[in-house]
Amino acid sequence: MTDGSRVPLLSMRGVSKRFGGVEALVGVDLDVHRHEVVALVGDNGAGKSTLAKTVAGVLTPDTGLVEIEGVPVSIPTPAAAHALGVATVFQDLALCDNLDVTSNLFLGRELRDARGVRDDERMEQMARRILHDLTSRIPSVRVPLASLSAGQRQSVAIARTLIGDPRIVVLDEPTAALSVAQTAEVLLHIEALRDLGLGVILISHNMTDVRSVADRIEVLRHGRNNGSFDARTTGYEQILAAITGALRPDGPRSPAAARS
Amino acid sequence: MSRRGAAAGSQTALREANKGLVVGTVQRYGGLTQVELAAATGLSQATVSTIVRELLAAGVVETAVTTRSGRRAQLVTLARRVGLAVGVQVGHRHLRVALGDFAHEVVAEQALPLPYEHPSDTTLDRAALLVMEMLERIGSDLEEVVGIGVGVPAPVDTDTGMVSVPGVMRGWEGEHLGQVLTKRLGRPVHVDNDANLGALAEATLGAARGYRDAVYVRASYGTGAGIVISGQVHRGFAGTAGEIGHVQVDPTGHICRCGSRGCLDTVVGATALVEPLRATHGSLALRDVIARTRQGDPGFVRVVADAGAAIGAVVAGLGTAVNPQCVVVGGELSETGEVLLGPLRESVRRGVLPNQIAPLEVVPAQLGQRAEVMGALVLALRAADVPVRAPEDVLLDGDGAGAGVRDGEG
Repeated sequence: MTDGSRVPLLSMRGVSKRFGGVEALVGVDLDVHRHEVVALVGDNGAGKSTLAKTVAGVLTPDTGLVEIEGVPVSIPTPAAAHALGVATVFQDLALCDNLDVTSNLFLGRELRDARGVRDDERMEQMARRILHDLTSRIPSVRVPLASLSAGQRQSVAIARTLIGDPRIVVLDEPTAALSVAQTAEVLLHIEALRDLGLGVILISHNMTDVRSVADRIEVLRHGRNNGSFDARTTGYEQILAAITGALRPDGPRSPAAARS
Repeated sequence: MSRRGAAAGSQTALREANKGLVVGTVQRYGGLTQVELAAATGLSQATVSTIVRELLAAGVVETAVTTRSGRRAQLVTLARRVGLAVGVQVGHRHLRVALGDFAHEVVAEQALPLPYEHPSDTTLDRAALLVMEMLERIGSDLEEVVGIGVGVPAPVDTDTGMVSVPGVMRGWEGEHLGQVLTKRLGRPVHVDNDANLGALAEATLGAARGYRDAVYVRASYGTGAGIVISGQVHRGFAGTAGEIGHVQVDPTGHICRCGSRGCLDTVVGATALVEPLRATHGSLALRDVIARTRQGDPGFVRVVADAGAAIGAVVAGLGTAVNPQCVVVGGELSETGEVLLGPLRESVRRGVLPNQIAPLEVVPAQLGQRAEVMGALVLALRAADVPVRAPEDVLLDGDGAGAGVRDGEG
């Protein structure tokens, strides 16, 4: 749900990023609230991944203001993003095939007890709880990742974001190359994240998946905002028109408004 | 009475008829102990025991030891090799697929969120793929599937498998939905309205089990009802029986998708429920309304309670027409429990003539959110061929209690 009166979890204003001669992002605005899934859609080169990488601390914007829960922040590194409560899953998933599910969830952030020794029992308990919260279908947390299906690996990647109690989760093409059943699992996970109160930024080419779980759809075109739509009541054709530029919506987040 | 290849009145003919009765009853209920079978068929314990022994030898049924009231009992089920059935429930914002065996046991289940106004071609395509993937998941294949039941949130002409009312489900009209799915999966497909299937499931497996006359109410993105009369789901001439979402409750109200003004759906449908909350809470999904109501948020509780009263007033009309023994309430909105059910029950109580025999019970669906998909499964199982069939003309018991076997869906 979008609660207009509450301070957004994430607020970006006038974010721009240039790579040499390419303007990847031009004055982009984005808000994400608690209990909300915001989808970022647009053609290739529209700036979706660039914007996601800005939130994830992989890239730094040239200009623009970023606030988390009303507090202006800078996100110079992925570690800074993580410290600010932003978790990201990129397409490569960044998981280790030879390790089991628990180890993958805690990779680089292993829990230790008072003496500094790895606390395997607590990690396993947390792993089971997180997978349960996500209504995941993985029967055992002790299996090596290599034995899981593509959809289950995606589940583990999403579950990993919940370690460290994030406020915002960014998912870049989470359903790419997945079967229908696997896609279903991921979409249910996204709904679970939303129900847990997180703000989710979902980047996807698949308009059906986007429209199945998103509250709001933000269209980017050539690095600029080109429309903001209520996913529950907007038809596919209208969003497609904004993506392709057939429609130049007038509204707070259109190029027309930016110029005025 | 008709006979299959035996002299009228002969012992053999009677035996065949009884065998059919037993098999039909087991199929209808999924699994019964021998004691329950005797009660449901009206046959003696000795006869049931002999027949079960024969059917077991013929591989038609399986038996297992179970307990009933703390005592050991023989559970009789149809042999699993007889097959699997598929239940598909199409919702406004989700798809649910279940694979079940002949004991109504769900062996695999999957839900898939769907977009607003999802079209039939894409959704049925994905449903077919999902069925295939789920069969693979349990190590089975299409060969084992005896039939597929499909529920849709619209009135259906079950002969053609088409939505029978224009405008209520955009993108799903003008298609023989069963044929579309049969072409992809090569198995028989049976299509019906989701509330009818919910009624079928609750009457067979759930809260209305054992009642002859019952009403199932589905409070979801739209509202619908399934009506059970004398143990059979009553669909009506064009399948629109029970479409309570389109009963007028406000003569000066909004225009409904169906073209009328002030239908119940325009007052308690998902869009109508979130609208009064928009000013204070922004854009909401139905799941948000349910979650916040369960948390006790007063504005949400009020909206849902008022919806319950409105639905109950319309159900009262159904109660007067049908005189059911119980009203079973399902659908997403029923997850709010007594917040919805209390006012609904009160409205029904106020609007229906009380009788001397028994109070009209208003209860939550025992199968919860799975009622419709289980109903789709039951639809497919009922329509499947079974090795020994019950004769068509076996009559119901005088009081209509118990099995009451009839061929085809109930």
